[in-house]
Amino acid sequence: MKRTGLGLCLLVLVLVLASFSPAVLAQDVHITILNSKGEIQTQLEEIAAYYSSITDGVTVEVIAAPVGQSPFERAVALYASGNAPAILMLDAGDVLLFQDRALALNDEKWVKDAIPNSLDMATAEDGRILAFPVTVEGYGFIYNKAVLNEAVGGEFDPATINTRDALKELFDTIENSGNNAIVIGPEDWSLGAHFFALAYSGQSPDLAEVNAFLEGLKNGTVKLADNAVANGLLDTFDLMKEYNYDRLDPLASTYDRGTQLIGEGEVGVWFQGNWAWPGIADFDTTGGQFGFLPVPISNDPTDLGNTQIPVGVTKYFILDGEQNSPAQQQAAKDFLNWLVYDPEGQRRFVQDASIIPAFSNITIAPNDPLSASIMEYIQEGKTMNFILNLPPDHWANVGASMQKYLSNFINRAAFFAEVEAYWQGVGK
Amino acid sequence: MFPAFFVCTKSEVQRVLALEKRFIDKLKTYLIFAGPTTLAFLTVIILPFLFGIYLTFTNWDGIAKAYDFVGFSNYVTVFRDDAFWRSFLLTVKYVAYTVVIVNTLGFILAYILTGDQVPGQNLLRTGFFVPNLIGGIILGLVWRFIFSNILVFIGRQLNISFLSYSWLTNPDKVLWTLVIVSVWQYSGYMMIIFIAGLVNIPKDLIEAARIDGANGFQRLRMLILPLMVPSFIVTVFLTIQRGFMVYDVNLALTQGGPFKTSELISMHVYEKAFLAQQYGVGQSQAFFLFLLVAAISVTQVYFSKKLEVEA
Repeated sequence: MKRTGLGLCLLVLVLVLASFSPAVLAQDVHITILNSKGEIQTQLEEIAAYYSSITDGVTVEVIAAPVGQSPFERAVALYASGNAPAILMLDAGDVLLFQDRALALNDEKWVKDAIPNSLDMATAEDGRILAFPVTVEGYGFIYNKAVLNEAVGGEFDPATINTRDALKELFDTIENSGNNAIVIGPEDWSLGAHFFALAYSGQSPDLAEVNAFLEGLKNGTVKLADNAVANGLLDTFDLMKEYNYDRLDPLASTYDRGTQLIGEGEVGVWFQGNWAWPGIADFDTTGGQFGFLPVPISNDPTDLGNTQIPVGVTKYFILDGEQNSPAQQQAAKDFLNWLVYDPEGQRRFVQDASIIPAFSNITIAPNDPLSASIMEYIQEGKTMNFILNLPPDHWANVGASMQKYLSNFINRAAFFAEVEAYWQGVGK
Repeated sequence: MFPAFFVCTKSEVQRVLALEKRFIDKLKTYLIFAGPTTLAFLTVIILPFLFGIYLTFTNWDGIAKAYDFVGFSNYVTVFRDDAFWRSFLLTVKYVAYTVVIVNTLGFILAYILTGDQVPGQNLLRTGFFVPNLIGGIILGLVWRFIFSNILVFIGRQLNISFLSYSWLTNPDKVLWTLVIVSVWQYSGYMMIIFIAGLVNIPKDLIEAARIDGANGFQRLRMLILPLMVPSFIVTVFLTIQRGFMVYDVNLALTQGGPFKTSELISMHVYEKAFLAQQYGVGQSQAFFLFLLVAAISVTQVYFSKKLEVEA
């Protein structure tokens, strides 16, 4: 009886230990991609399945960072469990945090085909290039062309909106035509990371000067109340608040509601980025007639931001160099090369997944109207910096302050004080 | 000084050997029955806990391989962090409301449903218990729809001003949405514990009290409540502990909004560690929170044990 007891105990122990040992007995190479762009999950899975079918012995699997969880956090959890994917899609600002674990990619062919500045946020201090630029994104006022055509009684020309007064006139025209002008999405990430970041990037077209401005906020020498760009941006926000479709209960609106209102033409304008297309497409009743307007911050058309929209590389792939075998690392590199250089890879990546590529050798463009509009701004050179090196909790804190300002819970002076207090506490 | 065994008699040696043998037998039995559990408990609870305490003295960001020791500076940061204390006070408020309401309501439900003249008792008991079987995230999403769509719709149709705007976007009311959902979630669970306590009260005692002329309220006040103290110890402990640890409902229902006015302490700790990428500070907050909750729970159990009476 005792013997059996002990034997059983040993058996349990062996089973427990056995389950810990990695199951890499198979000859085939299996790699995993962590995807943090939820809106293209299905498309990426299809690309992975196709790539697995055309390669010999390589299978690619896509796992998703759940909605509401940051990619950083998911990646950290996967690393901690010894289960890191071969390819991880991270936010631009988080790439260098992984420099101890990411593979150096300086020798890859695509490095020299990457568009200018697209590797800035992926290059470590020692010169190692640690990440692959996944996509270029931009944001501004998305407009529904059908609504605006109806309002202006003809073909709407987006170039006419280059001052705040022109925007106000447009809002009035839309309301007079019986439609609603604009809906403001109250999400903290949208208001904090995108809308208020316009106050930073509007300071100067030179990123170094923007960084100096942020440094000034940190050490308390910059006063937002005296800053023309910050005040101008909030003047525009006041205008948006006045015409807001949900002005009675501004915080009750949601992102999904925004996609529906703009898609069905219930409102003419919505502040968002080109990532919103898959959501809008579900409600689109106008046959894909959408585009971007800049967010004007003054009444001088030559001011930065009145004719430009922020554009930047927002997502990067890093390759794990620690928990994947050399064969898996090679397979991951091959996969990225296939995306950039194989015609079928390009087509699926750019058109199926609606990705604006960050590589100059790719000549095809995404089909969706929002990405096409961003591409137009890029080609005309009407872009400004998409500020991506903000502190990781910036969007949540400044976003919360923006929500207070949106719901008239605090006035402008109190709002500026909160933002300044946040910046002065960064890193402390 | 001679070593001890020189002065031991034979019988003493035998006794020591017997003791040793008994100890080894006990250890064997323990390992066979509780060994695997102990191993699991050690590896997934105790070791991470100790490692977590170790991390509070570092400036680790969650992913880097190298980090520095920073002594107690993380704890100093926690004590100086206004947002942490605001969130902590909010949680204390939330716990106070939920503990009182959940236990009162749970007891009233149990008292009614163990009475003689209520039809469909089993059905009602099941009904009140069911919310506890729904996961917090689903519960939060369901109630978010109720608060932001259904109640607002009713409020606007019937012109009830306090329902016309979503409570979830009102910083003064948002805490109550959390309280309401938690009460709905836990009252039924506590009710089951109270029912178990109530049916165990000897019928002859109640009978005797009735013959002595005690009316319903007197029986409840002088007899049933004192005998229910053991149940209350359990339910109050459970509600306090769950209240401090709540995260899922907070995340799904309010996401800490509007503008962080409903960010309870667990969410604050989580965001500090993973969003702000200050793992050391977040871990210090978590450890501090552990000490507080442990202290509160132990005090509660210690003092309420003194209220227990023998029938």
